[in-house]
Amino acid sequence: MRVEEIPTYIVNLGRKYSATDVAAKLVESQRVMIRFSNNEVTVSKVFRETTIDVFIMVEKHRAVTTISTLSIKDIEKNVKNLVKTAKMTPPADVYAPLPRGPFTYNPELLRAPEVPLDPEILSSYVEGAISAALESGAKRAAGTLNAFKSKIILATSGDVHASQESAGLELSIRAFVSDVATGHFISIACRPEDFNPEEAGRVAGEIAKAADNPMPGKPGKYMTLLGPMIFADFINQVGVLSSAFLVDAGQSFLVDKIGEEIASRKLTLLDDPTLVGSIGSRAFDDEGVPARRKAIIENGILKTYLHNSMTAKKFGVETTGNAGIIVPTPWNLIVEPGNKSFEDLLSQIDDGIYVTNNWYLRYQNYRTGDFSTLPRDGMFKVKRGEIVSSIGELRISDNMLRILQNIIDLGRSRTWVRWWEVELPSLVPHALISEINFTKPLI
Amino acid sequence: MEEIGEFIIEYAGRMGAEYAEARVQADLREAIIFKNGILEAYTFEEVKGIGIRVLVDGSLGFASTNKLRKDEVKRVLNRAFKMAKASSKLIKHKISMGRGDLGSDKVIIKPRISFTSIDPEARISLLKEADEEIINSASALNVKVPARIMEMNTWVTEKLIKTSDGANIYSVTPRVALFALITLFHPQRGSIQRYINLGECGGWETAERWNISRIFSEETSALSRVLMEATKPPAGEMDVVLGPELVGISCHESCGHPSEADRILGREAAQAGETYLKPNSIGLKIGSKHVNIVDDPTVRGSFGFYLYDDEGVKARRRVLVKEGVINEFLHNRETASVFNVESNGSSRAVAYNREPIIRMANTFFLPGNYSKEELFEDIREGIYIKSFMEWNIDDRRFNQRYVGLEAYRIENGEIKEPIKSPVLEITTIGLWSAVDAAAKDLEFQAAYCGKGDPMQGIPVWTGGPHIRLRRVRIGGGGIES
Repeated sequence: MRVEEIPTYIVNLGRKYSATDVAAKLVESQRVMIRFSNNEVTVSKVFRETTIDVFIMVEKHRAVTTISTLSIKDIEKNVKNLVKTAKMTPPADVYAPLPRGPFTYNPELLRAPEVPLDPEILSSYVEGAISAALESGAKRAAGTLNAFKSKIILATSGDVHASQESAGLELSIRAFVSDVATGHFISIACRPEDFNPEEAGRVAGEIAKAADNPMPGKPGKYMTLLGPMIFADFINQVGVLSSAFLVDAGQSFLVDKIGEEIASRKLTLLDDPTLVGSIGSRAFDDEGVPARRKAIIENGILKTYLHNSMTAKKFGVETTGNAGIIVPTPWNLIVEPGNKSFEDLLSQIDDGIYVTNNWYLRYQNYRTGDFSTLPRDGMFKVKRGEIVSSIGELRISDNMLRILQNIIDLGRSRTWVRWWEVELPSLVPHALISEINFTKPLI
Repeated sequence: MEEIGEFIIEYAGRMGAEYAEARVQADLREAIIFKNGILEAYTFEEVKGIGIRVLVDGSLGFASTNKLRKDEVKRVLNRAFKMAKASSKLIKHKISMGRGDLGSDKVIIKPRISFTSIDPEARISLLKEADEEIINSASALNVKVPARIMEMNTWVTEKLIKTSDGANIYSVTPRVALFALITLFHPQRGSIQRYINLGECGGWETAERWNISRIFSEETSALSRVLMEATKPPAGEMDVVLGPELVGISCHESCGHPSEADRILGREAAQAGETYLKPNSIGLKIGSKHVNIVDDPTVRGSFGFYLYDDEGVKARRRVLVKEGVINEFLHNRETASVFNVESNGSSRAVAYNREPIIRMANTFFLPGNYSKEELFEDIREGIYIKSFMEWNIDDRRFNQRYVGLEAYRIENGEIKEPIKSPVLEITTIGLWSAVDAAAKDLEFQAAYCGKGDPMQGIPVWTGGPHIRLRRVRIGGGGIES
């Protein structure tokens, strides 16, 4: 049997064993990763994998498995076992049949551009990024290059038979002028012509150089300019926690907030998988529903949670095309730009802080949004609209909803962000926040 | 497993690898996700494949595939060789594998009750009962539980590790883990949330021994009291007693992570960061003489248990801090070579498709000589922090914050009323230098430690006894409004 035929075969098999609904998603992927530190490659990695996620419902009874072998015998055994297991589980509170196709998909979203997996080309990207960081004044650089190609083949009992390719290039680089003077930047792209590892290296090096000789920061509340990397992390929090599954689990500060003005009117946040040529583009979700553009927040108002057909039924709404078979997920988070340049934004700060990046964000309470996180890689004191010094040692200790409400302005240019700390591709500008609370240890 | 493992070593040798390592790993897992009293999903899977490392001209290559066929092994090995060779022009210091006590052994942990003998209904009923206990315990204090989510995982890891220099380890390790997030709510008092993490190496008997219903009932009662009664915590300098949960996370974050030799060398610089420790920091004083912190994979039944690491090196206890002084780093064979020491068996990979890297196993503060009661006795005014929710640390592992969840005021040696969200924001040296006593008790907490790129969340325990800190600053009030 050809690989392309396996998902449909599984659907038919599941139906034969009396499942009411079946979805089978086969993913073939290959990835190359080069990691580097101290200007040297530390390891190069090659990954090849084919897996099949199978979801089965026998009305309200459901079960899920991942099959990692393509042997027909193993597949048959697993599907039979899955139906048997589903029947043994107690019924869920709702039954939502898998959405009924056939659907029409945008053909441009089904194909991916060619990305190079050639070792010489990939190592030259790394070399270029390191050289650019060093030329900008860094003494050393560390990071990761990722090149990947994958193909999803989906079949469901709702008459869905579809396949989609995706591909991308990602470089994340952190430049060091000293142990405590660092800068971090990224380049992510679907098309090689949009990929600019040298620019990422240059920006990381420049931030690191500007961050040299940091002074201890003073705790307090400051007007704060967030660079795209930290703002992307905050936007990821909103995007991920807008999943109806997490809202239902209490793991979100968006519980009971639909229709409310939860953010500044300046903020419009979209989930847009329909952007052709973007890393998170998708033609269809894991139930086969055509993926579509939607506003999560529009002019500050929370418009929708993200749904699959199951959570949609539970919440009494329509699916938003964001299945995740169990947990709905965003695909591409897009913040609508403002109209200010970086300099315009900076000029609005009389006495404040510019933060370029962060890590380790943890909540005291998801439901209220109380959290803290550590700025890293270039944090600067701003006086009368100008960066006056590099500072360190501070922590952002605040509330996510308050920060969203305190957005004063957004930049007009935007950056695609995804890296180790930011899981979902996000297109974001700089964001000016009227007040953020900073704390620090005193001993 | 044996045949494909042999073939990998033999084929890599023929291609000219200076070192080759084959790991054939299968993780057979079942999980249930239970949300608000309803089963959301029952999942099972077998994640099986091969992870290979080769050294080519001092350049390290890793390859993984889930197709266990010889032609596929050849294909990924050829690519790994090409990648390693292409990268070698960007290497000034050639990588080599240092000394290690390589084993040839079988480590099979046999569960008393096998996971396969437990049907879905039994697993689900365990969580259903626990869920009912949460509701009952909360309602006894007039508290609502609008949301709770639990995930129970059982899995068996079967693994064969072979290296070109003679390691040959076959192991079978069963593990059980339970994760939960509970939200308690009162219309006038707001909400409070708690993570509960349980995890051990063992069979289904472990899940039965935990008495999950009792744990959830006790936690819910204590947290309901915090929600309903907690007052603003005192602020300023004071004595603080930390419970084992706080002590464990502090050891993990500010002692375990900084001691990872790959981090000291900068290998994680662009991801999880670096450390305040330098290669020459052995002998550096970071705390009082009462501070003794170890990392020990050999603790039977522990979540981070193993007897041989993923390079086939025999595991042993590592004394990271001895009487307040940095004593030893965590090493794999690569860093052992750089530091000219012997690997202490710290190399771990979470799945076949992940590179083995330096990880903690079970990191804990060694018990002292005091009874728990004695720690409180001479505190005139202070606080006791038993559990936490929010925490983080900077990427040099020096500036950390723990926000108490279940916490109490101490007055004249007695535990008084609950307090709300006391903040301990402190430097690593500030924290460990303030320790003046450790109790005899010892408790562990399960966690998944994150590191690596791609990310690897690996099972660990953190733990310790109750300890007392003198004159540390408590921020007070959690988030300022």
